[in-house]
Amino acid sequence: MSPEKNDVMSNRKVRLLNEPYLIINIVFAGVILLIFAYSGIFSPDKDSYPVVCIHQKLTGQPCVSCGLSHSFSLIVRGRIDEAYKWNIYAMRVFLFFASQLVLRSVFSIFYMKYPDTRKQLILVDCIGSGIIFLVAFWPFMVSIISAIL
Amino acid sequence: MEEVRNNSGQNLGIAALITAVITFVLAVIPCVGLVAIIPGIIAIILATVGLSQANRNNSPRGVAMAGLIIAIIASMISFSQIFVAGKIAQKADKWPNNIQNIINDVQDNVTKEIQDNNVSIKIESNGEKVEINTNANKKDQEKTLEELEGGDKAKGDSLISKKDTLQKKSGNVPRKK
Repeated sequence: MSPEKNDVMSNRKVRLLNEPYLIINIVFAGVILLIFAYSGIFSPDKDSYPVVCIHQKLTGQPCVSCGLSHSFSLIVRGRIDEAYKWNIYAMRVFLFFASQLVLRSVFSIFYMKYPDTRKQLILVDCIGSGIIFLVAFWPFMVSIISAIL
Repeated sequence: MEEVRNNSGQNLGIAALITAVITFVLAVIPCVGLVAIIPGIIAIILATVGLSQANRNNSPRGVAMAGLIIAIIASMISFSQIFVAGKIAQKADKWPNNIQNIINDVQDNVTKEIQDNNVSIKIESNGEKVEINTNANKKDQEKTLEELEGGDKAKGDSLISKKDTLQKKSGNVPRKK
């Protein structure tokens, strides 16, 4: 590799390390991809999921997110009707992750292309993602809030 | 004079941020929310060390700060899952009582339904037919029981009469104790 190209690469690396927003986007996108990979690797028919519900283990009663892994695996495989039977809220949580994967890429591109509008971009992202998060995880939030109150 | 900045603490900050994001995703899912407290604490420690290193060396603190904020929020959500577990456990204690109540209700309904109805049981064995007529009325049952205990024949019970005839035929009459 020529020294000029090396300089360009190191400059990009330094720029990326100095941009927490871009790092958050990359990390979050990576976590979402891991979730999708987990859903794809483990088969819903074999039922060999390594993650078990701690609430069910402790109390013997299922919680609001029980069957989520199973539902995700079914959604990834296109078996939507069956996914609803395992967990009624799985679809909205899955859509949240899918939308975030797209939004992380789109916002990262806009962030790099238009440096003048970065503050507005981050504000729009925070508000938009916050609303989507609340809509997707509302049943889980309700269970937590009602337990505290 | 130009300010000297290096990336000391930046790597720790990135590690903290990755852990914090994973913690946050885990914390909002009730099934695994309780476990998320462990990576949450790790993320807080990493972010704090990263921040202190960045402060010492005058390097950027944004990533470590973001990691610390996300880790604290995620840990708080994860901690609140203890209350959810407590509530589920409380419900689990109530379950056996609820099941007992349902069983009692069903029992009462069935008893009410059959109380005033006559019950006829027919038994056929080796060509012999035995018919038992009775009803589920509590008073009648008590009366029949008293009659049986006293050795009297129940009027509506054809089993006793049949048994009596057979005993008479064979000449084997049971004695009262």
